[in-house]
Amino acid sequence: MYYEIHRRPTFNDNRILFENFIFTLQTKKIILSSDFYKTSILPFAGIIIKLCRAYTNSQEDFEDYYQEVCLQIWRSKDNFREESQWSTWVYRVTLNVCLTLLKKKKNNVQHFVSDSLTAEETEDNHAFSDESLNLLYDAIRQLSEIDRAIIMLYLEEKPYQEIADIIGTNPNNIGVRVQRIKVRLKKLLDGEIN
Amino acid sequence: MEKSIENIWKEGFLKSDALIAPKINDLYSQKSIHIIDKFKKMFRINLIAIVFFSFLFLLISYFIGIPIMGIIFFVTLLVLVFINKGLLKDLETIDKGENSYQYLKEFNRWIKNQVAVNKRISTFLYPIIFMSFILGFWFKDAKGIPLGERLVTKILISFPDTYLIFGIPLIGIVIVFLILGILAFFGGRIYQWDLNIVYGRVFKKLEELMTDIENLNE
Repeated sequence: MYYEIHRRPTFNDNRILFENFIFTLQTKKIILSSDFYKTSILPFAGIIIKLCRAYTNSQEDFEDYYQEVCLQIWRSKDNFREESQWSTWVYRVTLNVCLTLLKKKKNNVQHFVSDSLTAEETEDNHAFSDESLNLLYDAIRQLSEIDRAIIMLYLEEKPYQEIADIIGTNPNNIGVRVQRIKVRLKKLLDGEIN
Repeated sequence: MEKSIENIWKEGFLKSDALIAPKINDLYSQKSIHIIDKFKKMFRINLIAIVFFSFLFLLISYFIGIPIMGIIFFVTLLVLVFINKGLLKDLETIDKGENSYQYLKEFNRWIKNQVAVNKRISTFLYPIIFMSFILGFWFKDAKGIPLGERLVTKILISFPDTYLIFGIPLIGIVIVFLILGILAFFGGRIYQWDLNIVYGRVFKKLEELMTDIENLNE
């Protein structure tokens, strides 16, 4: 017992905390390689912001997701094969990061039973100055993870084929699913369902 | 006429404030500051825990009849706390307003200093702990006679030719000094070895980061 205390009087059980700190510092390399950030990430920040907002319920989470997406894009930029557009690739990375972080968060919150965010859990419902957009986001956050991705890709005017490619599904089903989601969103916006 | 979701989407994002990216620099700085603050807090808690433990051990040692060991522990740990408190003060001086590179550099410098200081302390700490055990049990009361004296008497009965210095068998003194020497010699290494097992990977990463950032700055 004594040994445990005296040998590392400064760190003790702070290993995880310390590693997190190093990880945070590591992410700062993005800032320093800011040319890449400015030329390859910032022009697509809109896409990233729109998606991150749909998968988070607070400003703090949104910023965490945003920085994680930037980091992952920066880290995996060499994996981009130019088989698709850069924007599509950014969208795919963003979506994957959001889904991964959401899963991590869910695992941390044991009592979280639904894969959608309820109105009570949605703190960040005034992220935009446009009230209709805030309400739409509230409704989108109540959809399932995949439905959220589909409707956002649809709203970004991506063709069904591209949506299917990003999601990894059959393009024939996308059209039907989009219509169903729109009906559900309409009901959510009209307050017909919670 | 009621707006469609497509229109809400398009019109909502036409407003200039809708798609402002978080300022990445501020974001990371704030986070690092937050984590450093947490670090300091844990550091303080550790020091308080050491003080509490050493005091508790002092009390226990008194009740189980080895107060000398408790006193040595208490004094040694208090010195350790005092020195590390000084290190904490040094950590407080890291300027939060520095840029990432400077901040990282300062933190790296602090870690290296902290390791160096604790490595030096370990050279003395392990032998002191060992001696506290020896002295604690040597003077422990065993039916009116210190345990050490009782042990010497028993040795003399079995080996009457045993050479004594100040009433202690020479062979015992030699063994104790040998162990003290080994502990003093390897104390710093034990600490470094122990530290490398737990933090080696992280330290290496920190060094790599420094090199990376320096390369990027060139």
